[in-house]
Amino acid sequence: MRTDFARLDLRLRRRGSWAYSLGIGAYALLIVLLYPAFKHDTSLDQLMRGNPTMAALFGVSGSLTSPAGWLNANLYANIVPLFALLVTIGYGAAAVAGDNGDERLGLLAALPVSRHSLLAQKLLALGVLSLPVAVATLAADVVGRFYQLRPSWQGLVGVTAGVALTAMVFGCLALATGCLTNSRGTAIGVSSAVAAASYVISSLSGSVVWVHHLRLLSPLYWAVGQNQVENGLPMSSLIAFIATAAVLSGIAFWAFDRLDLR
Amino acid sequence: MEAGQRRSSTTAVALEALTKRFGRQRGIERVSLEVQAGEVLGFLGPNGAGKSTTIRLVVGLLLPTSGSVRVFGSDPRHDVSVRRRIGYLPGELALYPSLSGAELIGRVALMRGGVEPRRVDQLVERLRVELDRPIRALSKGNRQKVGLILAFMHQPDLLVLDEPSSGLDPLLQEEFEGLVRERVRDGATVFLSSHDLDEVDRVVDRVAIIRRGRLVGVDTLDQLRQRAPRLVEVRFAEPVDPTRILALPGVRALDANATELRLEVTGPLGELLQAVQPLGVADLTARPASLDAIFRSFYEDIPRGEEIHAY
Repeated sequence: MRTDFARLDLRLRRRGSWAYSLGIGAYALLIVLLYPAFKHDTSLDQLMRGNPTMAALFGVSGSLTSPAGWLNANLYANIVPLFALLVTIGYGAAAVAGDNGDERLGLLAALPVSRHSLLAQKLLALGVLSLPVAVATLAADVVGRFYQLRPSWQGLVGVTAGVALTAMVFGCLALATGCLTNSRGTAIGVSSAVAAASYVISSLSGSVVWVHHLRLLSPLYWAVGQNQVENGLPMSSLIAFIATAAVLSGIAFWAFDRLDLR
Repeated sequence: MEAGQRRSSTTAVALEALTKRFGRQRGIERVSLEVQAGEVLGFLGPNGAGKSTTIRLVVGLLLPTSGSVRVFGSDPRHDVSVRRRIGYLPGELALYPSLSGAELIGRVALMRGGVEPRRVDQLVERLRVELDRPIRALSKGNRQKVGLILAFMHQPDLLVLDEPSSGLDPLLQEEFEGLVRERVRDGATVFLSSHDLDEVDRVVDRVAIIRRGRLVGVDTLDQLRQRAPRLVEVRFAEPVDPTRILALPGVRALDANATELRLEVTGPLGELLQAVQPLGVADLTARPASLDAIFRSFYEDIPRGEEIHAY
């Protein structure tokens, strides 16, 4: 399989990926280093019990002072997926619609490469870009084991995979929207709106009854909404991610084949 | 079948009733054109006439609304191998600002499956390209040179060049024309869009003129010149009545008074000479239309129906 187009896109985003990874890595490291100071702070758990819906809106559920609860509330329920989505939605929207709007895609698409191969390589680059934020956070979690923060390995690997897969799915959504509309702005807008809705559904699914019924529609629920830091990634989530990414990729291939390039 | 095969062996580009619309916006309408192998075709027209749309259709970037594009007998949209034989320079050349010219050329060479390094070196030397600086730091002319290297480096059989000399200084323009001639000598075909009429005059074998999305003329420059109106100035020794002269077919007055006439004359001059001779001509000059005037006559609004004469 050819990878030269994927490598070009990754080369062009090298600095951005490093910046996001170092940024989230440093933030995650700070969170894990702070854990010993809050481990025995019962007031945090009382606060959460006092207004669980409000706490849920900020992605907090369960105990804040357990290792899994601490990581979930401070990293995985909000900021880590947000960073991962910034990278992949940004790339997904730029990969086709953005490059085409900048009149750069035509020069590459006129080379001896099929559109299927070109898009497959952009999906490959998207897959690679889904990883750094999740992996940098995992690295900080590993450091946390030396600071009394010891959730199960299964949970850490599961939630890392969940974050990466969520990022991939939203990147695919941005890519497919970009291929359908040829508009970077629309691709970012649609994907961000769906991500925001997904966040609200995942956060409130435990506290609001009617939202609970919608939880299976939320990729963030599949990734981090079921206490994955403790339990790992369920098979149903893995299947949902794979199926959604496949459908969105299929739409992207279909639309890219018909897209006028500049 | 035989006819089709014969055509594909000598025809580099064949457009048949090619139409492209962008929603309600006009692109091109029923453009039919053939470019023979080894030919340099100048594709001309005012801004927004449909030149870049046609060029993008030729390299397979746009999906035609109707009609067909064949390049060396294949559809360039779907046949990857035929795109291997094309060198393309877009009109609005947008490169990757953070890469250096050397890195971009190296990467595109890999994407092409490898290019002779010696060939790239020759082009770099001839075009005097700055390869080490990031593209964002290059002038428009230097970026254009990188684009020319990308188009020429694999020695393509078909060069599709949209405004290739834009931003180049006169010396490099000459070098570019030399590169085109060398490729043509090696049997390549060139499909070239340009606003530089002197360049067109020097390089192309035939021109195709597009206006408002429709092809309004395809011919050699010599033929266009022969058909174009000439500018005739006549000065008489005594005041005359020019009515009979102005009524001659193919004669249009640009400026007329009793002793001097400035006329635009289409067709043979014999009748005009016969008409002015008895009136006592003091001086007469006849100049062929400049290339600029010829193209202006195509670019400017002309009543429909008169377009046909250009075919």
